[in-house]
Amino acid sequence: MTNGEAKRAVTLTIDGTEITVPQGTRVIEAAERVGVVVPRYCYHPGIPTRPAQCRMCLVEVEGRPKLEPSCTLQAQDEMVVHTASDTAEKARQSVIEFLLVNHPLDCPICDAAGQCMLQDYAYVTNQLESRLNEPKQVMGRDRVADDILYFADRCIICTRCVRFMRDVAEDDALIVAQRGHKAYIDTFPGRELDNPFQGNIVDVCPVGALVHEDFVFKARSWDMDATTSICPGCTTGCNVTIDTKENQIVRLKPRYNPDVNSYWMCDHGRKHLVMTNRGVRAEVPMVSVDGALQPTDWERALDHVADLVDDASGANGAAIVSANASNEDLLLLLPLLGRLDVSSIVFRVPTGETAALPTVPKLQLRADRVANAYGLELLGAERVEELPALAEGAPLVVLDDLLEGADESFGATASPFIYLGTRLPAAARNADAVLPIATFAEMDGTFTNFEGRVQRFHQALTPPGLARPGWMVLSRLLARLGEGDPLSDIGAAFDRVAGTSEPYAGLTWDSIGLKGALVSGAGATAASMGSGS
Amino acid sequence: MSFPHRHDLETTTLLSRHQGDETARSLEGWRGLGGYEALRKAIGMSPDEITEVVKASGLRGRGGAGFPTGLKWSFMPKDDGKPHYLCCNADESEPGAFKDREIIRWTPHLLIEGCLIGARAIGSAHAYIYVRGEFFEDTRYLTAAVTEAYEGGYIGDDIMGTGWSCDLTVHTGAGAYIAGEETGLMNSLMGNRAEPWAKPPFPAQAGAFGMPTTVNNVETLSTVPGIVTEGADWYTQWGTEKSPGTKLWCCSGHLVRPGNYEFELGIPLEDIIFEACGGTPSGKPVKAVIPGGSSTAFLTGDELDCSTTYEGMQEAGSSLGTASPIVMDEDTDIVAAMRRIAQFYAHESCGQCVQCREGTSWVVRILQRIEAGDGELKDIDTLYELCEQMTGRTICVLADSVVFPLRSSLDKFRGEYEARMSPSLVAVG
Amino acid sequence: MSRKIHPSVVGAQPFQLTARETFDGPIFETPEGKERLEMALSRYPQKQAALLPMLHFVQEKKGWIEPDDMAQVAEALDLTPAYVHSIATFYTMYNKHPVGRHLVQVCTNISCHLNKGEEVLERFLAETGARQGEISDDGEFTVIEAECLGACGFATVVQVNDRYFEDVTPEKVADIVAELRSTAVGTEGGS
Repeated sequence: MTNGEAKRAVTLTIDGTEITVPQGTRVIEAAERVGVVVPRYCYHPGIPTRPAQCRMCLVEVEGRPKLEPSCTLQAQDEMVVHTASDTAEKARQSVIEFLLVNHPLDCPICDAAGQCMLQDYAYVTNQLESRLNEPKQVMGRDRVADDILYFADRCIICTRCVRFMRDVAEDDALIVAQRGHKAYIDTFPGRELDNPFQGNIVDVCPVGALVHEDFVFKARSWDMDATTSICPGCTTGCNVTIDTKENQIVRLKPRYNPDVNSYWMCDHGRKHLVMTNRGVRAEVPMVSVDGALQPTDWERALDHVADLVDDASGANGAAIVSANASNEDLLLLLPLLGRLDVSSIVFRVPTGETAALPTVPKLQLRADRVANAYGLELLGAERVEELPALAEGAPLVVLDDLLEGADESFGATASPFIYLGTRLPAAARNADAVLPIATFAEMDGTFTNFEGRVQRFHQALTPPGLARPGWMVLSRLLARLGEGDPLSDIGAAFDRVAGTSEPYAGLTWDSIGLKGALVSGAGATAASMGSGS
Repeated sequence: MSFPHRHDLETTTLLSRHQGDETARSLEGWRGLGGYEALRKAIGMSPDEITEVVKASGLRGRGGAGFPTGLKWSFMPKDDGKPHYLCCNADESEPGAFKDREIIRWTPHLLIEGCLIGARAIGSAHAYIYVRGEFFEDTRYLTAAVTEAYEGGYIGDDIMGTGWSCDLTVHTGAGAYIAGEETGLMNSLMGNRAEPWAKPPFPAQAGAFGMPTTVNNVETLSTVPGIVTEGADWYTQWGTEKSPGTKLWCCSGHLVRPGNYEFELGIPLEDIIFEACGGTPSGKPVKAVIPGGSSTAFLTGDELDCSTTYEGMQEAGSSLGTASPIVMDEDTDIVAAMRRIAQFYAHESCGQCVQCREGTSWVVRILQRIEAGDGELKDIDTLYELCEQMTGRTICVLADSVVFPLRSSLDKFRGEYEARMSPSLVAVG
Repeated sequence: MSRKIHPSVVGAQPFQLTARETFDGPIFETPEGKERLEMALSRYPQKQAALLPMLHFVQEKKGWIEPDDMAQVAEALDLTPAYVHSIATFYTMYNKHPVGRHLVQVCTNISCHLNKGEEVLERFLAETGARQGEISDDGEFTVIEAECLGACGFATVVQVNDRYFEDVTPEKVADIVAELRSTAVGTEGGS
């Protein structure tokens, strides 16, 4: 509104607070601007259709005879709204009572318990007794997708899921069948959902009616910790929350970012990370003694590597980095490579089928199934298809590339061969030293997505054993080589990125915030990266 | 098929004059009775002139709500360049009502004429008649009449050589009371679930197919040709100032002569029940009457001296609705009757709004329990409370519709409910 | 009376449950299917509006609508099969299961309730030997309770396929059932 050409503004009063909003703003959204969250079920800010059918967001408007649904009611000048008047509260209380008539109250075995909008609102309506004296209607359970179950009795027919599929994914495959108290959510008989974004219907479900089958009985909501993160499944960089329990990733949920993924994420991203719970990790530093790797502690390992670097003399060395390495990891690797005279830094990118969410243009499952391809290029790494040929006696540094396609003798003649990794592939046994590092989920850091948006992720898990974040390990190694102080603070690590790499100039860890920031000159490169999908 | 129009009172027959006369069904017969002259006259008038005369006649919508028809037409935008649609609501499904069916099957051309005049008034070039699907036989008469009218040049291009064109399509429903609600009807016409939508948008802004639309009842539109021919003053000679004209009455339940009657608005309800319909077959006193179709409030046998106008029925504590008195004699089990009525609304709820979806079926289950003798006194309080919570909170008025009979039956026949309560559960003292 | 329908009138014709045809191949590639679809499409500004008429058409021919039919209707109208499933289950007149040769729908709503509608229903079940909603063993009848049929002045009202029986009393039921049993296939409609 300050730009002078904005739409006309209207001023209204909500719960005693005056607020000016652009014309056309709905009261439910105007209320959020004054800190009032009107209870709602069918309304979802990411779903364009608003049927106003749950009747939960009814508010009292002075001068109007009936309560009005605030999700569709347009803010008007001089409108006086009471979201929590006695009449509005009473109506809301009755909605809850009606919803509980046939609800099974199976909260003890419901995966949504603790994160359920029916529980939450029922709790605050202060009803001690049920007036229900009738047997409940029982409908049962169904499968709507190969990985999504539908518990019809828990369903409150808010139709968020139906409208996500129809109006956001534009795949009209999920519908309301029957009508009245017999209504339920259904697919076409014998046909399940088959949409790369269908997992979002579980997220939009305000109760426990739609559940991912692999999450059933997996974790109570209060036993989980939630961490702000970025999905590394492709170069889109969807903003997510990682839910963890007992140091395991339990699930990913999309986190709202209007500039990237809106409220959604794809199923590939949602699922692939849970798989990283499995597998054997590199947990202790190891150095080669008489041709065999022996475990040791960090002090000795780093001293040993520093000696190796000092002694290195071969030319035409190579560095192979994982395309999921963070900006900080790679940045801290650069001085080490400088010492080793390694100028070729390469990364490989596994690719897959693409998928787009029609109504959110930026949100695509992109072909490049890695988190930081663009970030690595900005820091001077080069994308390649194949592992490079190694020059005999030349230095080799691998940063968490699993060396797929390499034969067992890969790197055997390199000197030195330094392997920093989360896992230990066969060829890593040829290394002179193995330094165990953390996965992105086990540390803080940044990725830069397909369009040049640098985004923060945070530590969700404790690294196993002695594994530590790569940037932390590298800064200590560099300190031994006389290159700067050891770093323990991610902010300082990012400052080094910003101080070294031109596109990041002026950015700080704090200024990136939780929604990310575009690096300078992002547009041009982004176009080529984006079209690669 | 029996002709329903039996009467002992002196009745005013504007609409039902030709019901029972099979000649009125054919185009030739209809023209012999002066048919399509009103349409010819209307085509000679401007849309505004038609709207004005209907406004002046005071004609109110006969679908139950009683909204002034001319005023409704005047809401339609003018010269907006968009297609407009007229939808004739022939989804007659209100329990107790069976008047539209009689118009459709006896005088289909009257309805066609009314639809075309209405279409002209609102600037529509296509009218749809949405007939409930169960009316197979009646739809046959209507589609045959439409066919004849097309062939005779009364529908379609260049109607009667006047240069004015208008199409008309008969569309059949498929079993949903809620398709009788105007936004539900338009959704159903468009091939959607017949779910009412929250207004705005109002039909005159964005109705059928997203275009400005007016929805009028069969009886309303069938009244229009007479008003156009004879003028507003002619129509207002009957009825009262607020409720001018005549009305079809659908009389059912415990009656010697149930059926369809047309009366001037304002005659006493008791005259209709006792004189026209001959009172109860058992000869026993009338215990209760639901005067306007099942979604209106009960009147007791002592409350029948009310005036059969919109305002008179409101004064009596009920409403005119579709003018469909359902009469119950002294032996009627009010709890069972109310349970059956509630069952209907539970069956017909579209299921969008929580209060209606859950409330209607909850009410049924409570009433079933009371009927079975397992009720408790506090159930009456719960029912009252549910009435409160189901009123005025939903997208359409289906939930309100079960409240009117329910609350009034609790008010007026509380003793019957209490008498059914389980003896072991009735509070002592 | 004439069954002639002007080509420009939508094909929302009453259905004759007695014919019980099966479609030989895709519905909308039969000459009649093509004609009915075209006729319907010509009457509406949007394709989807032909959905109810086309479901009526399928039921008119087959007596019921099964998922494969819904999928065919969906394809003809550029809708998803799931959407058609949603519509078909919303409206009660569409039979999602096969029904007997005579689909008997007894109204027990308030006016019929006051005129022994429930007793009429019981009599129909007893006379036909069918359980409610199921096909009788002889394949002749399906009897169900119906909501208001809009003929309350003639209570109790019973709809058999496309025909209304009015003023039905429990005593008349046996004769009606006998009459229905005696009708040849395809002759009882079209009164």
